[in-house]
Amino acid sequence: MSRSEVSALPDTAFRSRPALGLPLLASEISVLFRRRRTWAMLASLALIPVLIALAVRLTSSRPPSGRGPAFLDQVSQNGLFVSFVGLLVSVPLFLPLTVGVVAGDTIAGEASSGTLRYLLIAPAGRTRLLIVKYLATAVFCVAATLSVAIAGALIGAALFPIGPVTLLSGDSIAVGDSIVRSLLIAAYITVSLLGLSAIGLFISTMTDVPVGAMATTIVLSVVSQVLDSLPQLDWLHPWLFSHYWLGFADLLRQPISWDSFGSNALLQCGYIVVFGALAFGRFTTKDILS
Amino acid sequence: MIPLASEFAIRTESLTKRFGSQVAVNSVDLRVPSGAVFGFLGPNGSGKTTTIRLLLGLASATSGEIEVLGRRMPGDLAAVLPEVGALVEGPGFYPYLSGAANLYRLDTADGHATSATRRARVQSALERVGLSHAAGKKVKAYSLGMKQRLGIANALLIPRRLLVLDEPTNGLDPQGTREVRSLIRLLAAEGTTIFVSSHLLTEIEQICTDAAVMSVGRLVAQGTLSELRGVGGARVRLESPDRDAASAVFARFGMTMAEPTPDGGELFASFGTVEPDPDTVVAALVEAKVRVRSFTVDRPSLEQRFVDLTGEGFDVAQ
Amino acid sequence: MCATDDAKGLNMSRTLVRWLPAVMVPVLIASVAVAVPLAANAGVNLPTKTPAQVLALAAGEKVVALSGTISQTSSLGLPELPTTGADASAGSALELLTGSHTARVFVDGSTKQRVQVLDRMAERDLVRTGSEVWLYDSKKKTAVHSTLSERPTRSSETEGMISTPDQLAATLLKSVDATTTVSLGSDLRVAERTAYNLVLTPKASETLIGSVSIAVDSQTGLPLSVELFARSQKTPAFSVGFSKLDLATPDASLFVFTPPAGAKVTEKTPKVDSSRPAVPRSDAAKPTVSGTGWDAIVAIPAGAGAAAKGSISLKSSPLFGKLTTSVTGGHLFQTSLVNVFLTDDGRVLAGSVPVAKLQAAAAAK
Repeated sequence: MSRSEVSALPDTAFRSRPALGLPLLASEISVLFRRRRTWAMLASLALIPVLIALAVRLTSSRPPSGRGPAFLDQVSQNGLFVSFVGLLVSVPLFLPLTVGVVAGDTIAGEASSGTLRYLLIAPAGRTRLLIVKYLATAVFCVAATLSVAIAGALIGAALFPIGPVTLLSGDSIAVGDSIVRSLLIAAYITVSLLGLSAIGLFISTMTDVPVGAMATTIVLSVVSQVLDSLPQLDWLHPWLFSHYWLGFADLLRQPISWDSFGSNALLQCGYIVVFGALAFGRFTTKDILS
Repeated sequence: MIPLASEFAIRTESLTKRFGSQVAVNSVDLRVPSGAVFGFLGPNGSGKTTTIRLLLGLASATSGEIEVLGRRMPGDLAAVLPEVGALVEGPGFYPYLSGAANLYRLDTADGHATSATRRARVQSALERVGLSHAAGKKVKAYSLGMKQRLGIANALLIPRRLLVLDEPTNGLDPQGTREVRSLIRLLAAEGTTIFVSSHLLTEIEQICTDAAVMSVGRLVAQGTLSELRGVGGARVRLESPDRDAASAVFARFGMTMAEPTPDGGELFASFGTVEPDPDTVVAALVEAKVRVRSFTVDRPSLEQRFVDLTGEGFDVAQ
Repeated sequence: MCATDDAKGLNMSRTLVRWLPAVMVPVLIASVAVAVPLAANAGVNLPTKTPAQVLALAAGEKVVALSGTISQTSSLGLPELPTTGADASAGSALELLTGSHTARVFVDGSTKQRVQVLDRMAERDLVRTGSEVWLYDSKKKTAVHSTLSERPTRSSETEGMISTPDQLAATLLKSVDATTTVSLGSDLRVAERTAYNLVLTPKASETLIGSVSIAVDSQTGLPLSVELFARSQKTPAFSVGFSKLDLATPDASLFVFTPPAGAKVTEKTPKVDSSRPAVPRSDAAKPTVSGTGWDAIVAIPAGAGAAAKGSISLKSSPLFGKLTTSVTGGHLFQTSLVNVFLTDDGRVLAGSVPVAKLQAAAAAK
């Protein structure tokens, strides 16, 4: 297409009324999932339940009750528990690790590759870019949690019998119900990671060095969990973003206890609003010099 | 006279940017006429790129005002930037995406860009910079010159009223540099205002209509090229002991002899309205028994002018 | 020059505006966090009643069905016990004395009842239907079945797991006599219900207990919360109360328990309270009680088999050193509500009284 042909086209061929940013969000998500790094992280997460299942399958002796992560002793009797153990093991470190990488990379990564200035002069709009980046991180949280849950269910079904699941309360539920509960737990953990994502987004606006933002985010997730385990600081505990991370066990009670789901959602909302506001303040007033 | 805003594609008023105690841009009053090819010159580190960042709303000015395409920046940023294509401080791309995917991605960032024509626009932009053959190749496999072209292609995704090109020929081979120059001429011919910065004077001199010179954060000169070269243009330098005879001959050609220099050996004369053929002038001098030891026509390059303005040569970093 | 200053001012104010949300949001959250608990008890204004009327209301309580969540918090001044690591199992025996615990209670009539103690990643369940009782522990994967010979009341079975507000209140109200002053505090809101605040104050000055506050539901008379205040503390040393309460009949399926596959099932008849450390009941080691009311002292003689064994195993535990202080004549286990004196000759004296009084009682023997 030559220049004169392009010029002959009506203006609407190039410009339309400003979109909400859905094309940008779609592009953001597609860029995220076209990175080899993203797939490597999802694959490593999926590997966790696979390793657990293999370890249980290959050891002849049943793990003693009450030792090791919760539910581990049930894996050999019911493959569906591989998902639960996988999620339980991933929540304290592996999931925050991957989410920290993605959230810390949001703005700092664009700044370091030099694409941030081109996005801004496109113009993407700083607030819009911030929202799109956050939403893409949230999508990654869903993907990360689901890759543990789904890989766990698949390997569990392949290596172990599948049957009714015993809840913490001692009641048993059918396989269909247990899949619903698995999805609820995945939703719970995804919500749990949203506050950390917001913190990572804010830290990412502070620097042009993505690795620094990633490391800081991950370290904060560890610090929060350490503080949460110190009884001397119990006044602080309900305010720590990791406080309800393991509360998803309440979804394995009969009847389901929604209290921790609600408290967790409220707490994460608080973190999203606070760190979203900080990220907004920082990013919209920042000189882009990278 | 205060010109109407629309006369200028870019206008700044006492534009200043400080980083701590360091003044990167010091009270700059830029006037870029609409439709011009405006050369923005200065050594590395003279504040050119910082000025461009301020113009595009990437950084906020410490003080002063900016108007781009008749609108205030950064207040009207959302309305101004869709009409501005830019290449700032080198290309920036996602190395793990192909060239076409990179352009596609950056185009989605513009909320005004129509998605229906996106694919076609990406293709035509790649074609214009001669990258069609490498469209599907990952950017990490691109050479610096190819990345530079891709950066220009990004600026051309949508017809723009203003193109801001920061060092567009950086990393290009001579052939690539010629191509970029002809592309700029073509775009200018279509009426796009082009603001092109460079530390290499020779690149700009051939394509610009106007220019400004930055030195240590200050704007030291600004105007049309001929204004900058200085009135009068070329002059003759003659080495001869026969001053009076030479003066008489020059007068016949409408030339004016300058006052003698202290050392006396060299004579200078400026041309009148018509520039005569140098061969004819030399023949006439010889015929008038003027001993011609050397005869040169000096055309003052911008370079000479800039050395005067900036007090140093061009490739010297601050 | 003036224009430049204006532009500078504009820049500054734009920057400030953009940081404004970051300042306002935490302020907003902090004020909500402060205001909500304050507002919770505001505006509760129940018809005036005398303490006696409230006692009667509590006594006439006829709630037959409920489902609720109970929170129990203790701050008895004990050192914080590790919740992880090697000491964790040793700590579990004492865990009810420290920190916070949550349980869910479901009751339908006097014969159907389920209590769930919600532990971290685990749960202990008590399910009772008629005389059938199941105790399930998800961590140990054990289910204990027992059949009750008699039909105890609603209250008796949760002992050793968690005490419900109504059980504790019943015990406390039973002992309301001449040694106690009964008064009414300002009305409360507990679990989104309005309640009278019955305050029991010991007349005895020799007791550690400052006062006891019982929230009595204004509609049903059901005790909704109990708070025990030590003489020295402003915040309750021990509190237990409903955080959620629903008086509708719970789903019948909750009271049907089938031990899950893989659980170790044991049968126990007649039922012995196994979840509590055994208190010796043999004649040889009968505990004696001196005094009455709030400042009574319980003494367990030395040599009683279980007590001796208990105190030896207790002394060998690393926690023993952390929890007790060495004094002349023995070791002292001190809390803000109760003191326990373990004499070197093996006797145990306990009471809600100052240490000196325990030591005096020990010496008097």
